[in-house]
Amino acid sequence: MTPISKDRRLLISLVVFAAAVLLPAVLHDTFWLRVTTEAIMWVGLALGFDVIAGYTGYLNFGHQAFFGIGAYTTAMLMMKAHWPFLLAMPAGGVVGAAAALVIGIPTLRLRGAYFAIATWAVARAVQQGALMASFTGGPDGMRTTAFLNPQYFYYVMLAVVAATFFGLWFLLERAPFGLKLKAVREDQESAKALGLNPTVLKIKAFMLSAIPTALCGGVFAYWVTFIDPNSTLGDLLSDQALVMVIFGGMGTLVGPVIGAVLIFMFKTLFWAYLSAYEVLYLIILGAVIALSVVFLPDGVMGIAFRRRRGRAAPTVPQPAATPTEKEA
Amino acid sequence: MAEPILRVEKVSKAFGGLTAVNEVSFEMMPGEILGLIGPNGAGKTTLFNVISGYYRPTRGKVFFKGHDISHKPPYYLAGQGIGRTFQVVKPFAGLTVLENITIASFLKHPRRAQAEAHAWKVLEFTGLADRAKVQAASLTLAGRKRLEISKALALEPTFLLLDEVVAGLNPTEADRTIELILKVRDQGITILVVEHIMRVIMGISDRLVVLNFGQKIAEGSPAGVAADPGVIQAYLGEEHV
Repeated sequence: MTPISKDRRLLISLVVFAAAVLLPAVLHDTFWLRVTTEAIMWVGLALGFDVIAGYTGYLNFGHQAFFGIGAYTTAMLMMKAHWPFLLAMPAGGVVGAAAALVIGIPTLRLRGAYFAIATWAVARAVQQGALMASFTGGPDGMRTTAFLNPQYFYYVMLAVVAATFFGLWFLLERAPFGLKLKAVREDQESAKALGLNPTVLKIKAFMLSAIPTALCGGVFAYWVTFIDPNSTLGDLLSDQALVMVIFGGMGTLVGPVIGAVLIFMFKTLFWAYLSAYEVLYLIILGAVIALSVVFLPDGVMGIAFRRRRGRAAPTVPQPAATPTEKEA
Repeated sequence: MAEPILRVEKVSKAFGGLTAVNEVSFEMMPGEILGLIGPNGAGKTTLFNVISGYYRPTRGKVFFKGHDISHKPPYYLAGQGIGRTFQVVKPFAGLTVLENITIASFLKHPRRAQAEAHAWKVLEFTGLADRAKVQAASLTLAGRKRLEISKALALEPTFLLLDEVVAGLNPTEADRTIELILKVRDQGITILVVEHIMRVIMGISDRLVVLNFGQKIAEGSPAGVAADPGVIQAYLGEEHV
């Protein structure tokens, strides 16, 4: 990972961002603008997921809890406390980070499958809580004021996710924090001997993972004007984020972006044009995941990355252990 | 002369009913190399883990530069100037050699560019610079052991614990590692060495501490310890005394 190729990737990212800013000028179709907005949202979810899963080595099957907490916090602050959206959404991010702190302290002691199960269970408890509580509207969910301006939500979502991408790029690829997280992922005991406190690093990473996810939840709540425990706290959210990150390339920032866009677009096109074969979609998706786990342990990013590396240096680096091996 | 840099005071460590280390005491003076030897299962690595903060002693205390460090975590001790290696090497396998050392360099060089520059210096010193950009997983055993030492050195420690850094190397590699250890000592770093290979430990140690079944059975100069009947008995059995 030479600094040059890293800078080049940043440059490409900036070009993609500029293109995304200009997109609504040429894309007048409301349906496709909505689809693109949701694709960007999935990029945010996948990036958040990758901070804890890819960089830190903890597969979080309760990622949806942060999305739902952000969505419900924003909706409640807007509807019950009459906060403006642009205050309520960041507040959702703060509550999401606080939730990560509370959930992370007990669960981040666990490793591998135990962490995955524990976080999944906590998220199920949060979902059940939202179903039963009265202030969340229970199974009926909550409505937010309708604000029908697709351009507005496109830009808000883009702003949140772009800030996430470039913020994470700075923290994880430029600042020491990212390397320290990777040290914890690779070997906690060894990291300790080098002066790193794994508990503190993991909790920070978990909070950093929760913030963009909760912010996306907040935008989602105002955008779709209706949230319920299924749409914002269902475990399908984590499953999809996981699939996107694995397909794109774990432990990188560009990987989740590619994975989220490709998989979400595939899903949308399938449903838009081949809705009669809905079942086929899940079968194809499952096969793609199984194949990419076996043949592309480093995701789509891995192909591009390894090819570039192979050209630069004669020694072909061994691929990193797949996440499942690492957790064992 | 000066105060001892390390004082181990009647340290015991029990796992359930098994006492792995039993009332062991010794001191180390700044700048010396102390060899810790003993047959398999004598408690060397356990004692190592107590000193470096990985285990808490069941009884007894460890003092570093006069401060009680018996219950401090490893990452705190690293900040105090204690570096260690692991007998079973623990590279960050998926990262490059340079990244491995850079992570260790963050302790004294919090900014990434400075840490990386420092990592290069360490790699030059330990002779791994030509492997800087390869993944740690692709190093040979000798390379990994060298990486262990490099990581510990990148902390810029005043006290270094080396756990079997020579074991498993061929004679040429072993000689290069011994050379490296002596070079480190010449920088004024105090070193505690655990090693199985007598040729190595006798050659580099200023003094030896011998453990058997968790207890200290001898302490002194390499020649004196080698002639000690108790030590011979522990290693070779009773009929050889």
